[in-house]
This record gives sequence, C-alpha cells and structure tokens, in this order.
Amino acid sequence: MSTSEYDYESLGLIAGLEIHQQLDTATKLFCDSPTTIREPDEADRTLTRYLHPTKSELGELDDAALEESRVDREFEYLAYDTTCLVEEDDEPPTEIDSEALSVAMQIASLLDMSVVDQVHVMRKLVIDGSNTSGFQRTVLLGQEGQIETSDGPVSIVDLMLEEESAQRVEERDEGVLYSLDRLGIPLVEIGTGPDITSPQQAKEAAQEIGMLLRSTGAVKRGLGTIRQDVNVSIADGARVEIKGVQDLATIDELVEFEVQRQAELVEIATELTESGASVGETVDVTDIFEDTDSGVIGGALSSGGSVMAVPLFEFDGDVGREIQPDRRLGTEFSDHAKRHGAGGIFHTDELPAYGVTAEEVTALRDKVGAGNDDAVAIVAAETETAELSIEAVKARAETALEGVPEETRGANDDGTTRYLRPLPGAARMYPETDVPPVEPDPSEVPTPELLTEKVDRYQDELGLDAGLAEQVAFGRRMPLFEDAIAAGIDATLAATVLESTLTELRRDGVSVETLTEDHLLSVLFLVDDGELAREGLNDVLAELASNPDLTAEEAIEEAGLAGVGDDEVREIIAGVVERNAEQVADEGMAAFSGLMGECMAELRGKADGETVSSVLREEIGKRS
Amino acid sequence: MQPGDRIRVTHADVTNEGVLMPSSDSDHLVLKIDGGYNIGISREDADIDILESDVYAVGESGDGSDDSEVSEITFDDDLPTISLISTGGTIASTVDYRTGAVTAQFDAEDVLRAVPELAGRANYRGRVVANILSENMDPSIWQALATAAYEEIEAGADGVVVMHGTDTMQYSAAALSFMLETPVPIVFTGSQRSADRPSSDNVMNAICAVEAAKSDCAEVLVCMHGSENDDYCALHRGTRVRKNHTSRRDAFETIGNKPLGTVTYETAAKAGSQGDVATEGIEFARSYTKRDDATLTLNNELESAVELVKFTPGMDPAAWDYLDGKAGVVIEGTGLGHVHTDLIPRIEALITDGTTVVMTSQCLEGRVCDRVYDTGRDLLDAGVVEAGDTLPGTAKVKLMWALANLDGDSVRDQSAIAAAMGESLAGEITEESQPWR
Repeated sequence: MSTSEYDYESLGLIAGLEIHQQLDTATKLFCDSPTTIREPDEADRTLTRYLHPTKSELGELDDAALEESRVDREFEYLAYDTTCLVEEDDEPPTEIDSEALSVAMQIASLLDMSVVDQVHVMRKLVIDGSNTSGFQRTVLLGQEGQIETSDGPVSIVDLMLEEESAQRVEERDEGVLYSLDRLGIPLVEIGTGPDITSPQQAKEAAQEIGMLLRSTGAVKRGLGTIRQDVNVSIADGARVEIKGVQDLATIDELVEFEVQRQAELVEIATELTESGASVGETVDVTDIFEDTDSGVIGGALSSGGSVMAVPLFEFDGDVGREIQPDRRLGTEFSDHAKRHGAGGIFHTDELPAYGVTAEEVTALRDKVGAGNDDAVAIVAAETETAELSIEAVKARAETALEGVPEETRGANDDGTTRYLRPLPGAARMYPETDVPPVEPDPSEVPTPELLTEKVDRYQDELGLDAGLAEQVAFGRRMPLFEDAIAAGIDATLAATVLESTLTELRRDGVSVETLTEDHLLSVLFLVDDGELAREGLNDVLAELASNPDLTAEEAIEEAGLAGVGDDEVREIIAGVVERNAEQVADEGMAAFSGLMGECMAELRGKADGETVSSVLREEIGKRS
Repeated sequence: MQPGDRIRVTHADVTNEGVLMPSSDSDHLVLKIDGGYNIGISREDADIDILESDVYAVGESGDGSDDSEVSEITFDDDLPTISLISTGGTIASTVDYRTGAVTAQFDAEDVLRAVPELAGRANYRGRVVANILSENMDPSIWQALATAAYEEIEAGADGVVVMHGTDTMQYSAAALSFMLETPVPIVFTGSQRSADRPSSDNVMNAICAVEAAKSDCAEVLVCMHGSENDDYCALHRGTRVRKNHTSRRDAFETIGNKPLGTVTYETAAKAGSQGDVATEGIEFARSYTKRDDATLTLNNELESAVELVKFTPGMDPAAWDYLDGKAGVVIEGTGLGHVHTDLIPRIEALITDGTTVVMTSQCLEGRVCDRVYDTGRDLLDAGVVEAGDTLPGTAKVKLMWALANLDGDSVRDQSAIAAAMGESLAGEITEESQPWR
C-alpha cells in the first residue's frame, strides 16, 4: 500500500517532537571552556574512567539503562587545550552560564512559554559514559508554550537547558572512546505535546521551531548541532520514539513510514491471530549446514559457531512481508539479532538463496517441525551469540502476534527506521548541589526578530531583493550579515558576498568552511572602503580559505592584488592610451571599449572597473 | 503543608503538580514535578492545593540508619578481617530519586550495600567514631580514632580502613602515626568527588584501601587516586602526605618523594576478590614496617596548646601575641626556615617563657637549615628547634604528641622534645636528602 493512501485521522495518528539544539555561546554551560568542536587527533590528553552506578541505582534502573550498562563500563576520554577540569569531572561546575540562560529565555519567549520563577539544576543519571560525571546537568526553564501550524496550534510542553554529552568517537573492545570537546555545550531541549496529527504537520512544526531557534542568531549550525526525536503512534499501534533525525525535510516521510510500519504490523498481527499462529522453541540446526555452500553460515561454522533456528508456525509469507520500503518483518527480527551480536538472520520466506540450497531448507523445515504454512528463522554465529540472538528473534516474533512493540528506534537516511533499544523509563534525577538555584528575569531578555520578519525588513529597509533577503535571513551567516550592516557595510555588498560569492566559491572547490567571521568581515570592509576591488574579492577569499592564518591584507598581497594607487592607475592607463595613440586620434571615444579591455587586463583586481573606466575616459578626452 | 506533601500550585497562569521539597529560601516553593525536575515557584500570589499529605518522607540527609534491611554480612573464617572505621567522610552514599535526597552511609553494612564490590574480599567489622565534616575534625577525635583502631586490632582485625573526609585527612593520619605502634596496616581513604555520582572515586579508593589493609605493610597509610585516571591508587605514609589540589582525584601527594607504594586497581581488585592478599597488584618503592614487626601500643595523649603559625612578609607582629603561654609553637618559615629579624626577640621571649618553638619551611620540599644565614643562626641562638624536612602540619601534630608523651615528669624536658623533633619517629623526616628515584 502506498503511504499516501493512509487516512491519518481514522488511523488515530498522534505524533510529538523533541528537538535538541546546541547554542552558540562563548563558553560552556557550567565552565569557561569555549564551545569549540575539535578533531580527535588534536587531543593532547586522555583519561580512563569507570562508572559505578550503585546496586540500589541499578536495581531500580529500567530496561534501557540496564541494557546500556551491560555494554561498556570502562571509558576513555580525549581532552584538549580547549577543555578543562570540569569536563574531566575533576572540578566543581561554575554557576550556570548567563549567556546560555539568556538565549534559552529568548527561545522560551519565541515559543510563547512561561519561564520558571526559580530554576534548579538537576542531575539526570546517564551511565553510558557520555557524561564523565555519570549524570547530565539539566534545568527545566520554560513551560506551557505554543506554536502555530496551518493545521492548528501545537503545544510546547517544556523547554530544558542542559549540557550536551561527550561525542562518541570509537567503540573498542576495551570500552568506548569519547571526546570531551562537545561535553557541556549548552543545549536546549524542546518538547511538543502529542498534538500533531499528520506527517505534514510534524514537518511544519519542526520547521517552525527550527526557524524560531535560528531567529536568536545564537544557535549552532551544521551537522549534528540540531537533533530531532519524533514520537509516533497510531490508535492500534504503540508509542515509538525515533531518535536522531538530522534532516528536517525528511520528517514527514519518516512519520509516513512509521505509520505504514505500525499499520502493517497491526494487520500482520490480526492475520496471524486469525490463523492461530504461534512461535516454537529454538532448535540447534548446526548439523544440517555442516557442508553448506553458504558463505555466511559456513564462515560462522568454520570458526566453531552454531546455527540456531526458531519455527514460526503459520508465519509463511509474513516474515518476508514489506512493512516499510525495503524493510520486512524479517528485518525487524534481524535488528534484534544484531543487537545481540549476530550479523543478521535468514528466514524461509527468502530461502533458498545466499548459497542455502532447497535441500537444506527442506531438512531445516523437517528438523524444526515446520510445514508449508510455517516459516523458520535461523541465526549463524559464534555459539553463545547465536543462542542469545535466536532468543531475541523468538521474543520479537512473539510480539508480532500482539502488534506493535513500544520501543526506541533510530532514523535511517532513507526515512525508514531500525530497532535501537526498549523505551527509556522515567529519568532518575536528583539535585545538583554544586550549583545554586537561579531566578531568571525574562523581562531583561529582548525578544528576537523572527527570520520571517528579517526577510521583510531586509527588503523594505535595506533594499535587498526578495530572493537574496530570504537567503541571507535563513542562511547560517545571518548574524554576521547583521554585524556587517551594523558596522556600516553596504547591505547588498554584504548579502551578495555572504550568499552568492561564497556559494560560487564552494562550487569552485574552495573550502569556504575555513573562512572565519573575521576574514569575511575584514574583506567586506576592504571592499566597502575601496581598498580592494570587487573583481579581486573571489581571489582574496580563496587565498584566505587555503591559508586561514593570513590576515585579509596579507591575502591581498599573496593573491598579487595589492591595491594600486590612483597615480599608478592613471600612469598605466595613460600608457595604454599612448600605445594606441593612433587609434584614439582616429576614433576618439569610440576607441573606449577596445582600450578598456586592454586596461583591465593590466589592472584586474588592482583597481575596480568603475575607476578604470572614468580615468580612461579622461585620458581619451585629453587626446581627442 | 509540609515537605513530602503532593500539592498543586497555580502561579502566573501555570499550574504544576508535584511533591513539595524543602525550600532553599523563604520566597519560593520548591516542587518536584512528575518528570523528576525541581522547580522553584514564587510563593507570592501562588494558589496552593494540598492533594495528598506526606507522600514521601522528605527529610534532610539522614543518619544512614536504615533498619528495614537485614544485615547480610556473614563471617567466613578463611577471609581476613578488616575493620571499617568511619569519621563522617561520605565514601558511601545513596540517592533517593523520588525525593532527590542524598544520604551518607556509615556503618559497614551500608558501605557494603553502596560499594558491593567490597564483598568477598574480607570479613568486615564496622565502627562509627564520628559523623562530621573533616574540616570540623578535632584532636579529641584523633584520640578517639586511635583508641578505636587500637581496640579493633586488639579484637583481631587484620587491617583497619579509616574512611575520612579529605580536607584534614593528612592531620588525622599523622596523629595516628604517632599515637599507635601497629602490627597491621591502618589505611585512610576517602573520596574527592562525591559518592553520590556514578563517577565518584570512592569505589576504587575503597577497594584499593581494603587491599592495602590486607597487605603486609603495617604502617599508617593514605590510599587515594594516584592519577586522574581510574588506574591506580598511591599509598602515602601518613606523616609525609599532603592534599595538594582542591578537587582533583589525585590531590594527595607524598612530599619530597615518590609515594611509598601503589595499588593497581584492576590487578589488585581481581587478585584480592576471593580474600587473598593482592601481592601482584601492590608494589612498594621503599622499605616499610612489616606486618607483626611492631607490638600493638597506644599512646594517644596530646598537648592541646600548640599552634602552627605561618610567617608572611608584612605581617603584623601583634598576630603572634596570642602565642603567649602556649606549650608549643610550630613556625612555617620562609626558605631554609626564616622569619623577619624583628620577630626574633618575640620568639626568644616565648622560649624563655617555656614554649617549645619548632621551625619548618613553607617550601614544603627540603629540610630547614638555620646555620646558613645570620637570621637562622640568630633563631638557633634564641632556642628554636629545627624539624628537618617535617611537613608543617605534621610537625604540629608531632609536637602536640611529643609534649604530652615525652615529658619526663611534670617538668617538661625541653631537650628530649628538641631531640625528638629532630629525629624520625614515624617516617616524618627523610634521613638523607637523596634525589627522587
């Protein structure tokens, strides 16, 4: 069934969003380190730590935390010359960063939220090592807000200001490697109510919140700086939390595909129940595959592993049934097997294939007592892994009889999702006694101009055309543009350079990402002051991009565009006219266009065209 | 309305329900709402309904006594017996996530519940000597602590672990070093990062301390993180150790030398998990007093009228007026052991009056030598006693102990005290200034 055929209202679609956005503040939330992201190879220190959640903590921990805690208990951290003892959990935190608090209050104001009278910093237990302390510091700052969408209002339940976690760099046998550069960057978490009733509304709400966030001009931009989680359920389905949606534009598709998945799973459950389906006991079927031609199975067996099977009575055809584009019920089984270390599963709906012969499939069916209406799933792996994995497959198959399991899923690039872990339970929180409560004063915080309002102002007051105005306002260099015009730089110049010129350069393969705000501002000043010709701008920016340590003035020298004084310009132009004295004498001003080309060839980038043309006119005038 | 009540509060058009928590100020109600967050709500103009009284017992940090759970500590004759003595350092604590209360745990059963990795390494006897912050430590508690350790060893403990706040741990460790002749290890430990966080150094420190207490090094030791990693603990002599950082895990250092020993966490934790002595994971850099070499003896008398004063440029000499009549004064002088020459007559008067005046150096590293410069020679002429490279804090504790225990009769034997301050009684003086190795 194509997803567009779903009637979301009658399916009872309910969705909500949780949006995490990093703030672009000067320092981190609870220390004075800069919020700079580093490369792992720039680390100059490492430290190794264990986390020890006490038994009373673990005893009460939910499935998700327990599953995490079993994996990786030893952690290694990369530290930099931009991180300090607070990130290393070797010094108490500072008071909450006032800039971050101010930006978060601007966001609260844009979301029409009430700011809490007194905020209390809490410790939220996180034992996967992504916080050196074993907890994340977080405050509830705003409550009861609302945004508008074309399908009606969406409530904003809460706004949290919290520490970003450490970046996971690598998973190794001895434990996980984390990088401390990201730990402690201020992060706002915005949760909507479960008011969203269509995929389109989910996308629109996410885009609206994104626009409001960017209107502050104080949020980080780029990959990984904003993350969306989407909660989706349909009436007969279950609440599924989808993590790590990077691309706003795919949110509608993601919700559509999740509705499809849940609707298909509900239908499968109904059919299975009607046909009296059941899941059998797991069986060791290693002997059947002793001489197999299947590379996957043979590989597992040759290193001493086993093949485990589970019969799925009355499942024939259902395991291979598509529930999302290119994902089947069998893919769900496979996700659970992978979670326990196996590479995946095979099932009879897709066999014989992958080197497994028809004879082997028959023997397999016989061995587990499966008939033609039944399906069989198998896992080949190291023996203990195979046993754990087939049990996980069995458990997931049993859930298929009931419908949709509640769980946390991860977003794939194509808009489908994969199983990650059970839903998290209630957060374990206790007060952060090292940081005193703060009474925020929202009245001192200006309400930022919305990006949509900026687009209008840029047209009305600055004279930009509509397209450029929108590009600049929604572009990542909007704050820089605002700085530039505040400093008196011509708006059209600034907008053109920051949008068109940089886009042009990127297309030409120039690494514009290395250009700093200082580079761009100083180049704009030089052009605005007439020190650098417009024609030389691309070359100077390209020079700066490949040598970011240079100043703009040095880059002009390097690019061979050192400005030429007015006298020298006149001298060069006079020389051109002199060489062509005969033509000038013959043609008078009609010789202008031909000579202009010759002059520019000598002066390109050193003097702007307007100057050259007026001097040339004067020089021709003198002779004719 | 009491903390622990479930209430509904409406203020400025926002309504919240949750459990009332103790407030940090009088203007705000603190509410724990259902997601677990605490928020402060202005009391002014707030509409409050009590929905249910006393939902949770929300109190201040309790005393750790929780009778609801039965002790599961059983004695195994094959295991060594370690006595856990607590003075109030929160090496163990539990968090109640409903209320957010952090409760320090003190007796052996509580410690074992909080640090389950201790189980199986030894039989534990628990004892609480005090329940104080270590900055409130008092010499009378050093005496009680020494008595408790003495009694525990006499009762058969194979080692003693003292759980102590880190601020004044070095003073208590020095005090026990002088007060006790011990045939078994006495190991101080604590945590720099609070026990209510999963990253606390308490677990590793406690395990390493228990393993050190099972070892054959019968000295008073401090066992704390040796680096900022969770890789090994250093074992420091109680008289040579100093807290040299406010917050880092590896704040404790042996001054003037490498630590006496190290306990490698993973190796020792594994080797000792069934009760064996973790000989593999514990190494010593120098010689030490072996188990059972000394006969258990307690001399815990202290002279309380002893002051440690630091000389700094520009200080008002009147600051030393209160030293009149003290039995002993330890000066933390500059360099080789100097003070402003104008203060020398003041010191001379104190000594004439019967006060023992001992010189140490604020350099911390290196020994005092008052024979090099005129000021020093004048100080020696005035009767000042040099304490070698004894750390100033240790010198104060030692002088308190020496004045009370080395008195011949009622008349103080100045020369015996002076001699004692110049020689090593408990490893506090380095005999020879060899470069570190």
